[in-house]
Amino acid sequence: MNGALQLFPSLLGEAAAAEPGVPMSLVFVAIIIAITLGLFAYARRGYSNPVFKGPVVGGISLSGMAEQLYLYMEHFALGIIGPHGRKYITVLATYWSFIFVANVWGLFIEYTPTADFSLNLGMAIAAVFYVQYEGIRHNGIWGHFKHFAGPKLTGIMVLVTALIFLIEIISETMKMLSLSLRLYGNIHGGHEVVSKLNDLGQVGGWNVPIGGLLIPIKLLTCVVQALVFTLLLAVYLGLVTHHEEEPGGQHSASDETGRLLEGNPHALEAHAV
Amino acid sequence: MADHHNAPQKAGAPWLGYVVGLILLVVGATIGQQWEVPVPGIPLNLGKTVAMIGILLILFPIVRMFYTEPLAQAIQERNTHLENTFSEAENLRAEMTQLRTDYERRLNETEARARDQIQSQIKEAQNLRQQLMSEATERADEMVRRAQEEIAAERDKLIGDLRTHVVDLTLAAAERVIGENMTTERNRRLVEDFIEKVEVAR
Amino acid sequence: MLGLGIGLAVGLAAMGVGIGQGITGNGAMHGMARQPEASGRIQTGMLIALAFMELVFLLSFVTALILQGKLTTGA
Repeated sequence: MNGALQLFPSLLGEAAAAEPGVPMSLVFVAIIIAITLGLFAYARRGYSNPVFKGPVVGGISLSGMAEQLYLYMEHFALGIIGPHGRKYITVLATYWSFIFVANVWGLFIEYTPTADFSLNLGMAIAAVFYVQYEGIRHNGIWGHFKHFAGPKLTGIMVLVTALIFLIEIISETMKMLSLSLRLYGNIHGGHEVVSKLNDLGQVGGWNVPIGGLLIPIKLLTCVVQALVFTLLLAVYLGLVTHHEEEPGGQHSASDETGRLLEGNPHALEAHAV
Repeated sequence: MADHHNAPQKAGAPWLGYVVGLILLVVGATIGQQWEVPVPGIPLNLGKTVAMIGILLILFPIVRMFYTEPLAQAIQERNTHLENTFSEAENLRAEMTQLRTDYERRLNETEARARDQIQSQIKEAQNLRQQLMSEATERADEMVRRAQEEIAAERDKLIGDLRTHVVDLTLAAAERVIGENMTTERNRRLVEDFIEKVEVAR
Repeated sequence: MLGLGIGLAVGLAAMGVGIGQGITGNGAMHGMARQPEASGRIQTGMLIALAFMELVFLLSFVTALILQGKLTTGA
């Protein structure tokens, strides 16, 4: 398969063959993180500009992209988690940017962290434990486990409560598996499909990279998988922290900012009228 | 385990997240290399998993420091700047509106005053005209009346003169006719009676 | 026999998930067409539903991968 047409190794499906060891994969993770943080740090230059007209890479303003990502994550956080969701933007943006950069990396390089089930499992476990931590922080330990146990039942129905508790524990475990398997299956599966299509393209002495035709849908998968991981994390966070009526003394400066921002459109409208 | 995840939350103690993340990372990268789980078809190495959790723990505060906080600050600054600009513009507009209403009011006042003045002048002039006209007619009436009175007096005087003259003439004529003195008191009265009758008949 | 099972597993799962995702997309499109102002929330819900559906396919896909691993090691 090492023909002259081997432009992108992942497109030619070498990914499944070589799974590097722990240090090598961590080096790849470090490279991805370095790219992500480098883009973020580079984008910081434009923040002093009133319209965020930052450094331009390939016709795209990095600062503008960073702002759009922030606004999108803010939209997630405020829309799905609720008005107190502004503090989760960091986590959501971290996951989104890391997964997205790793996915795009996977379009060109044969090994990518998101196509490695072990690393995906790590990300999913971190996400689910973070959700649990947030639930405990918001509802207290007792309240959080009461939330696990479902509705309050008495008498013989306590058994049902125990059953619900068990099922909830299993569902939490399944959350980790589902998050990681989804990412792994999509990215690794994409590589597998490209590899198999390229096998079909071996006619005679020719290598026809039929799998390259899949690159649009792989690009779409890159965005959608990053989006879905973040979205589900936001949904889990929203489910866990939803029950509180009033945070009670947890009004931070960010909440004030939120109110300011939410009030802003009306103010603008009032100005426009 | 869950308690370790306060790193992205509390900006006060990011070192805890760093330390725990570093420990996890080192453990995963060294000892964890042997933690291979034999799943056929899916290569699974729990060392990578543990290391990834550690990396994420370190990554959250860094992203917060590098990305979220400066961007949020910049966005907030921009919003306040926009709001200030808007309120400034609003103030300016209100001021302008105030000035315009002031100006309009003053214009209206001036116009009203001018109209009032014109009206009063016109009224004064009309009054004056009325007065002058009435005075003039009065004086003319007076003059006419005096002239009529004079005429009447003249006529009366003339008529009286004429009457004495006619009486004299009549008496002279009658003297001549009858050749005797008729200037007695009785004759004179007769003639005057006659003349009065003639006058009445006339 | 195992190879046939792997192919059938992935194929049938793809069929079912395709039908299900089609129905979801259909409903979401209807909803968006009727209420364009609510399209953001409908899209979010649709994405979540699609993700859960896709998970089912991915589970079967992973099962197929494991079976394939057995196939290669067994052979």
